[in-house]
Amino acid sequence: MSPLLALRGLRVSFQTPRGPARAVDGIDLTLEPGQTLCIVGESGCGKSMTALSIMGLVPQPAGRVEGSIVFDGRELLGLAPRAWADLRGDRLAMIFQEPMTSLNPSHTVGRQLVEVLQRHRGMDGVAARAEVVETMRRVRIPAPERRFDEYPHRLSGGMRQRVMIAMALLCRPALLIADEPTTALDVTIQAQVLELMRALRADTGTAILLITHDLGVVAEMADRVAVMYAGQVVEEAPVDELFAAPEHPYTVGLLGAIPSIAAPRQRLAAIEGRVPAATDWPSGCRFAPRCPFADDHCRHEAPGLREIHPGHRSRCWKAPLETLVMPEAGALVHAAEATA
Amino acid sequence: MSATPAVLRAEGLVKRFEVGRGLFGRARGVVSAVDGVSLAVAPGRTLAVVGESGCGKSTLARLLLRLVEPDAGRIELDGQDLRALDERALLRARRHVQMVFQDPFGSLNPRMSAGDTLAEPLRLHAVVPAGERVVRVRRLLDQVGLPAEAARRYPHEFSGGQRQRLAIARALAAGPKVLVCDEPVSALDVSIQAQILNLLADLQRELGLAYVFISHDLAVVRQVATEVAVMYLGRFVETGPAAQVFARPRHPYTQALLGAVPVADPARRGSRVVLAGDVPSPLAPPPGCRFHTRCPHADDRCRQEAPALPEGTHAVACWHADRIAPLTTPPQGAAAVPGIPSDSAQRQRQRAVLQHLQAAFARRSSSSPSPSRPGAPP
Repeated sequence: MSPLLALRGLRVSFQTPRGPARAVDGIDLTLEPGQTLCIVGESGCGKSMTALSIMGLVPQPAGRVEGSIVFDGRELLGLAPRAWADLRGDRLAMIFQEPMTSLNPSHTVGRQLVEVLQRHRGMDGVAARAEVVETMRRVRIPAPERRFDEYPHRLSGGMRQRVMIAMALLCRPALLIADEPTTALDVTIQAQVLELMRALRADTGTAILLITHDLGVVAEMADRVAVMYAGQVVEEAPVDELFAAPEHPYTVGLLGAIPSIAAPRQRLAAIEGRVPAATDWPSGCRFAPRCPFADDHCRHEAPGLREIHPGHRSRCWKAPLETLVMPEAGALVHAAEATA
Repeated sequence: MSATPAVLRAEGLVKRFEVGRGLFGRARGVVSAVDGVSLAVAPGRTLAVVGESGCGKSTLARLLLRLVEPDAGRIELDGQDLRALDERALLRARRHVQMVFQDPFGSLNPRMSAGDTLAEPLRLHAVVPAGERVVRVRRLLDQVGLPAEAARRYPHEFSGGQRQRLAIARALAAGPKVLVCDEPVSALDVSIQAQILNLLADLQRELGLAYVFISHDLAVVRQVATEVAVMYLGRFVETGPAAQVFARPRHPYTQALLGAVPVADPARRGSRVVLAGDVPSPLAPPPGCRFHTRCPHADDRCRQEAPALPEGTHAVACWHADRIAPLTTPPQGAAAVPGIPSDSAQRQRQRAVLQHLQAAFARRSSSSPSPSRPGAPP
């Protein structure tokens, strides 16, 4: 099966008063049809800019996008704005953190949804209305016939995000890009929206590219995960493997930094220091200044992204990381075997 | 809530806001943001108030300092009735109850250097003689892990995490007994959030501070709380020792909240009960039990009569508390919980490796500038 989406050497840069900012700095990723790929990282790592570049929404002319984005067998970079606009909302859809910014406050919800069908599928008003109401029902908006005539500001945050998901689904896109779709929502509403996204993927086979900072959301949703740091993918793996046996120190630190709801940890694994600025990526490994395992080699030579186990890639000289703690780990395993 | 007597205690706090009042108009409605809340927190303990947006937790935080004047209720600091104090006496008392906000940018004066920011409360509360202020400022910076030269910098020159450190240092300057923290790590990235949570834990251990910790994030609450109060539409629905409330939540809302948290363990995905519906508008809270519109156990009594929060260590405001089985949360795998039964030798080995790798991060963070005790030689 050929991938639905393939990013090759994707770069996004901006001119700033402090010199060029390489916000996204050489991303290679693929996404299979029907799969969910999560991109996880902290602010400024380039995850949102990666999503925007696939949608053709990088601010122009300030932003420079290079490399290759092949979607559905077709190169998107260099596409005319008009062709890109046709693709968006049709084969390619996106939902954002704050639905209010992508909904028109002066039109009813129903009208905005109908417009999508009229534009991309050439439907007439009556048929479009029927389909919109049906889609609103599918995303579990209660009383959709009534909500159809409501304005966005009358809806709660969770309800607005459902409208956005309905809009994204109207044209049965092959790929849904969701950028922090539940970050602004309360936890009980977040659970509803995540469950909805899961159900819809099962129904429609839409592939999902989910951008998030929340490892809990990743664990809930992902098939595969790409961890981004300082404009690059530093680790990519199937979700179970990433959580059980991460192969990049940054991922290790992130997993140790999140409090567990099961029991308080003695001490959280704080990653000291801060994320570097996009105008000033460190030379050598970009994570080295914050990494407890870094040595001179790491500080001077930049590691490439390489396969550590089949399907598990890491951008770290020290991987597989097990070798860093081998003696103690070995002892523990012996103890465990003895008690088993 | 604990054996040591409480340093801060509140009883029956009520705050109503009128909303929608136009220039000449009458109020369109009244929101009972806080509706009869009582709490107590002892030195060295952390009471976490957890709830979703609009539940009134931030208003509650402000009531405790009388930044917002309560409509009813009592606030006691070391037995002294804060509501009986006049303006000047209140200012003196506030020295002992300080606040840390979510957004340090909004709460720090952009035109004041870090040094001046810290010197101001020292002067205001006459904490140390004028000649010793510079030394004390340096010690405060060191306590929160900021370098001495940070004194000359302005808020915009700090990163988000450093700004929150500065805000904490300012709160400490007055020499408080209680810190009220309103979502202090919600605006921070997870790696920075961990730094600040570790710092708050260190400071509490060293200074014996009592914390009232307001948060929407249940995992953060699990990490910091010794006691928990779960708030829904202006009222506490469940209170108790954190370990008990998290291990055996009894209120249907607490159960739903805990069930809704996405857990960073792919092995446990999908094993949840999703609560239907939205939080009702606080302008028109449902009659009876305020949770009944979303509660799977609600009956006629719940729709008509509001259950009170009884006295007791682990208390639940629910008519059916005795009937509803406590939700026992299964132990989780990868999240480094020692002593849990594991599936395979390979998983166990992976877990051991991960714990060792993470320990390197924890070791590193404790070797960075550590808070020193005030009074200790600089």
